[in-house]
Amino acid sequence: MLQQSVGSVQALTEALASVGYLAERRLATAVYLSSTLQRPLLLEGEPGVGKTELAKALSKVLQRPLVRLQCYDGMEQREALYEWNHAAQLMHMRAQQDRATPEQLEHAIYQEKYLLRRPMLQALQTPAPGAVLLIDEVDRADAPFEAFLLEYLGEYQVSIPELGTVRAQIPPVTILTSNRTRDLNDAVKRRCLYHWMDYPDRERELSIVRQSVPQASDALAQQVASFIERLRSAPFANALSRSPGIAESVEWAKALVALNTLQLDPEVVQSTVGILFKQREDLAALEPMLEALLAPTPDA
Amino acid sequence: MQLGDARVGKMADNIVGFARTLRRAGFPMDSERISVALESALLIGLEDKQDFRAALEATMVCRQQDREVFDQLFDAYFRNPELTQQLLAQMLPKTTEAAPSPKRRARTQEALAAITANNSRAKVEEDSIDFDAAMTASAQVRLRHADFESLSASEFKLVQRLACEIPLSWPRVPARRTQRSRSGARVDWAHTLRESARLNGELLSLPYLARRTQALPVLILIDVSGSMERYARLMLAFLHQSTRGLARSVYAFGNQLTDLNSAFRHADSDEMLATANQLIQDFAGGTQIGHSLAQLRLTQHRQLIGRRTVVLLITDGLDTGEPSALAQELAWLKRNCRSLLWLNPLLRFEHYAPSAGGASVLKKYADGMLAIHDLAHLEDLAQSLAELVKQ
Repeated sequence: MLQQSVGSVQALTEALASVGYLAERRLATAVYLSSTLQRPLLLEGEPGVGKTELAKALSKVLQRPLVRLQCYDGMEQREALYEWNHAAQLMHMRAQQDRATPEQLEHAIYQEKYLLRRPMLQALQTPAPGAVLLIDEVDRADAPFEAFLLEYLGEYQVSIPELGTVRAQIPPVTILTSNRTRDLNDAVKRRCLYHWMDYPDRERELSIVRQSVPQASDALAQQVASFIERLRSAPFANALSRSPGIAESVEWAKALVALNTLQLDPEVVQSTVGILFKQREDLAALEPMLEALLAPTPDA
Repeated sequence: MQLGDARVGKMADNIVGFARTLRRAGFPMDSERISVALESALLIGLEDKQDFRAALEATMVCRQQDREVFDQLFDAYFRNPELTQQLLAQMLPKTTEAAPSPKRRARTQEALAAITANNSRAKVEEDSIDFDAAMTASAQVRLRHADFESLSASEFKLVQRLACEIPLSWPRVPARRTQRSRSGARVDWAHTLRESARLNGELLSLPYLARRTQALPVLILIDVSGSMERYARLMLAFLHQSTRGLARSVYAFGNQLTDLNSAFRHADSDEMLATANQLIQDFAGGTQIGHSLAQLRLTQHRQLIGRRTVVLLITDGLDTGEPSALAQELAWLKRNCRSLLWLNPLLRFEHYAPSAGGASVLKKYADGMLAIHDLAHLEDLAQSLAELVKQ
């Protein structure tokens, strides 16, 4: 399975870049280790820094199908792992009722053909080259669900009482993401490699904007990157409840292009700011800071 | 991998040593983690220091707040391991100080003090009650209705102890998870089929799935300004015990916001209070509720979990900040929680009306106002909470 992963950190960085994901070296190292050591990778970071995108990019690079499990409050085993097709089981049982012994009946209805595979089981049973499993926003699920994940994360296997243990032939490359609305259990963290994703620096942000919005003029892309970088740093960030992520800056650049903007000015920022901020308090806090945010950089 | 065995041995030593250093700095570090780190280091090699650092970080760090410490220790350790010892000593003043003088817990000390007091048979006749023996019924009744502000020091301790024992049945709401039950909205097909397969396909009964219930998460915001000092201590002790097992976050505020979650992780109330004392810089200072809430909004807004949180705002409402700023912050808080309850010790005065600047704003935004000035009212709290939260 080693040959399924990419040869070196450098090769992985380049492969990710070729599918449009510009990963910093630290992140590439963590991903490389995770796929080589076959350990799940836990990504934490603010919303919109590219956690989910990484899994998508990785699935393209490794040419493995992406299986996504979106977590939510109250998620249960039957939504994450498997469920029996009860209607089909019931029909089979009715049809065979008078012809089979109870033992035969019981055996017959717990066959794989009555199994509905949910994301985790799908990922485990994906034939070569295996899958990329994205367990998205795991902090949204509750503590019992984390406990349920442990067997999978540690051994890449799950137990189904009626069938026995299902073990992965090829361990899925597993990415967990968390927005840190709560701290995850230490037992989960112990089984994973960990990477904290920061907002990108100005240069990387600029490259991302350029790549995702090629129609934007160079000057505009520069301005967008500078504006966003200032928003995320003190003193401006302290006045805002949330800094915009990469997803937002790309969206914003697209909007600016759609409005045929050549240069940022307070007016155009005001009219498009709804893309960056979705809280009234933040909008109010932004207005007095606009001038300072739009001031040209010393080196420009 | 160009490294020979000997160098691997040396590198292994260094990495294990580094891991032990991290462990001393409070990183969760077990032998499995170390072995994964070793494996990663072998894979990545030593050619590029940044890659090597990233490899160790991915395997040895598991919390965002540990990253800075990791960076400092990494720099120090792989340049000069001895420097690390000094750095550790600087970083961990508590562990180096605490180790040589194991302090007795407050509860132990009290227990010992009570024994010596008994033995020497204190001659001074106190008009307050004995607190070492079981209380008489009349003393209990008196204390139940005694205002916390009017208690003597020894009575206060006793009341604090009693407050910790008051149970608080926290309001529960239906959760998304289900459990088997006799009635409910959904049939438990998995169980039904398992049963009927055993009974040759007969459906004899239909078990149902009903929603489980879960306790609402709680956010405790407690005023620790001068006018609230006594109530704050008592309420902290009371809530520490009675909200145990709930998803809870605790913050103290005076002039600024203090995160008390680490203190609340202690199981023992005395230890919790001691840690809280150390954490709170502005105990018995002024009150700026609006400013503190703004800090909460900007830095800790994630603590308000999915709008289900019940917020307990414990304050007398004597706010020195700007009422309009307070109103704005309270409006935000109210939008983001399930109920905003104001626990107000000033309700001890019969004709109290929240008319002062801050208090009138609080009255406007709070979903309910509850009295907490004596034990009897604390006991009623559970009932009142349930009624208010249901609305």
